[in-house]
Amino acid sequence: MVTAPQSPATRSRWARSPFYFNSASHLHRIGRERAANLQELVEALRSCSESSIFQHTFQTLEEHHFIKEGFSNDFSHWAFAACNEVELAERLAAIDIREFTSMATLRERLVHIIENYLQKNPRAALRTAMEPFYLMASDLVVVPTPYVARNLEEFADGLRKVSIHAIYYHFIDARLRLKLNTNDFSVWLEHDMDMAQAADRLNRIDIYTSTLEGVRRSILRIIEAEIARA
Amino acid sequence: MEEKNPKHKVASEEDTKQPREQKKEQAARAGATVEEPESGEAVSAVEPPATKERRFRQTDLPAHFIERRRHPRISTEQPPPPAPPRLDDYAAIIGQPELDEIRFLARHLRGKTVKMVNSTAVGGGVAEILNRLIPLMNELEIPTRWEVITGGNDFFEVTKGFHNALHGGDYNLTQQIRDIFMAYNDQNRQRMEFTEDLFVIHDPQPAGLVASRTQTRGRWIWRCHIDLSNPHQGVWDFLKPMIEQYDASIFSAPAFTRQLSIPQYLFYPSIDPLSEKNRELPEEYVNKVCDDFGIDRSRPVITQISRFDRLKDPVGVIEAYKLVKKYLDCQLVLAGGGATDDPEGAVVLQEVMDAAGDDPDVIILNLPPWSALEINALQRASTVIVQKSLKEGFGLTVTEGLWKQKPVVAGAVGGIPTQIIHKLTGVLVHSVEGCAYQIRYLLTHPEFAAQMGKNGREHAKENFLITVNLKRWLLLFQILLGMARPNDTI
Repeated sequence: MVTAPQSPATRSRWARSPFYFNSASHLHRIGRERAANLQELVEALRSCSESSIFQHTFQTLEEHHFIKEGFSNDFSHWAFAACNEVELAERLAAIDIREFTSMATLRERLVHIIENYLQKNPRAALRTAMEPFYLMASDLVVVPTPYVARNLEEFADGLRKVSIHAIYYHFIDARLRLKLNTNDFSVWLEHDMDMAQAADRLNRIDIYTSTLEGVRRSILRIIEAEIARA
Repeated sequence: MEEKNPKHKVASEEDTKQPREQKKEQAARAGATVEEPESGEAVSAVEPPATKERRFRQTDLPAHFIERRRHPRISTEQPPPPAPPRLDDYAAIIGQPELDEIRFLARHLRGKTVKMVNSTAVGGGVAEILNRLIPLMNELEIPTRWEVITGGNDFFEVTKGFHNALHGGDYNLTQQIRDIFMAYNDQNRQRMEFTEDLFVIHDPQPAGLVASRTQTRGRWIWRCHIDLSNPHQGVWDFLKPMIEQYDASIFSAPAFTRQLSIPQYLFYPSIDPLSEKNRELPEEYVNKVCDDFGIDRSRPVITQISRFDRLKDPVGVIEAYKLVKKYLDCQLVLAGGGATDDPEGAVVLQEVMDAAGDDPDVIILNLPPWSALEINALQRASTVIVQKSLKEGFGLTVTEGLWKQKPVVAGAVGGIPTQIIHKLTGVLVHSVEGCAYQIRYLLTHPEFAAQMGKNGREHAKENFLITVNLKRWLLLFQILLGMARPNDTI
């Protein structure tokens, strides 16, 4: 369903090309690797698929989108809740996935942090966790939605209507697809609407201190302010 | 408000039917095409259980509470099954965009046919799931047929033995047992037709049907609902070559899996938010149920819903309650079934009553199997929900508590840690003392409890609803049929 064109008086300028809202559905695959302690986690991290790294860092943010604080990635949570290694959990939680556009670099960072910690705390390496860590992977399938935006009003309308999975897909998952430190919304605003400042403001929304609904509201506030200014 | 959930129905033709007959009818009304064996698992008629009268010590409680606690008004009649929900009914719960995505995913599968096979049309979690799932698939124009394998008593004795052995029990796997298993699977292969596009075979009993895959062009999926983390090696070695002939397998938790050469997918068990057990209830009905059972809604209510089974640690829950009660006034409700038709359940119920002693604030309810609405009401009336299991499957009572936005305190076993992210969507405990402390904390920090309840509901909505599973099925079908490639747009 394409939003009906609005009257020129209320319509902001047309985009060079429209924004097509997509959503994403995913299936969890259970991987072969599992870890009963931190040493095993390091080994599993070295050998697991990139899809597993993605699942436990990027994808988990979508699955726990409703939690505002205390959740960053599955590795950090396991280090805290199952291994009782609070310092390691803090270090892992500090990883900001927005800085990574490749899974290989993210994998290296995870291994580096845990190995560093185990060098300083060798007894933690083989201490059995309260529950094992099972490495999962994710098969993601992109699902088109009926929403298309050709101007800011339609963009805001689409943002209000799409599912939270669409917000995740365009705002978080996009970084890996684009291999850039940005997101689909900002790319469209900058390149198709000539709104570089708004694109930048949008890209700086903190995904770690807000729920995905909160992210949606923050994006909408920026877009609505731009509509009001136009 | 009008009473929407009458427990006591007027006598009708349905009253005279046995539960098995009623459930078959329910499945048929739900749109599920069930072909049932003539000699499937027997289901005996369940007599309404009676809760024994307890002696209470002197108390300030009003007389009507004491009277109801001695003689709770427990429904003795099975209510008629409600009409199954339509897909659109879920829009209010999951939102229209989610529903649109489900319909979009299904559009590509229209006309593709599915056969689901399990070992029983009535009783058990698998039949319950299929009763809800299949009508939704058919509504999405994916013709889905449900068939049940047939077998003699010798076959079902073997499969019961397999079930226990796969959970880690001892078992003597003889050649005769293998032959019985294979013979009945072959017999069912001869009887059934395999013309569909997709075959979903549930659990080990019909696993041998996969031998027919050479005659079909369809894709084969093995859905394992049981925990295979510690199986009897001989039984697993016997089944594994069959399982590895499937295109994919599905497990309920990562911890329940074995190493297999085929892809293993994770489908969490799910609850239906529109079922009697989970749907929204008028506050008047919740009050009525509390009144029927003598529950005082002006004081905190701690509840554990589970059958009377030592693995659910009901006595441990009473010990935790006693530790809480030293500091805080509260009531404990232990509600469940299994004490009437299971001799061990009756023994455990007696242990629970002994542990409760003469404390009138420990309310023990031995409920009949048709008490879904009452259980729903009890969960909604609870201040804290406990599931202090020592061993657990997935723990759907935890899911039910999360869905009702309640703070849940649960043992860190089985599938429970998947549902409870410690201190975010609930609290995990490992001891009676830990359980007591966490209950006290939640009762004295209602804002924290409320936030956890809110997170828990979102967690359940995101992962453990039937609509999420429906979406998973659609995705898996698309992937297996080559209609969608992972990480691609369909």
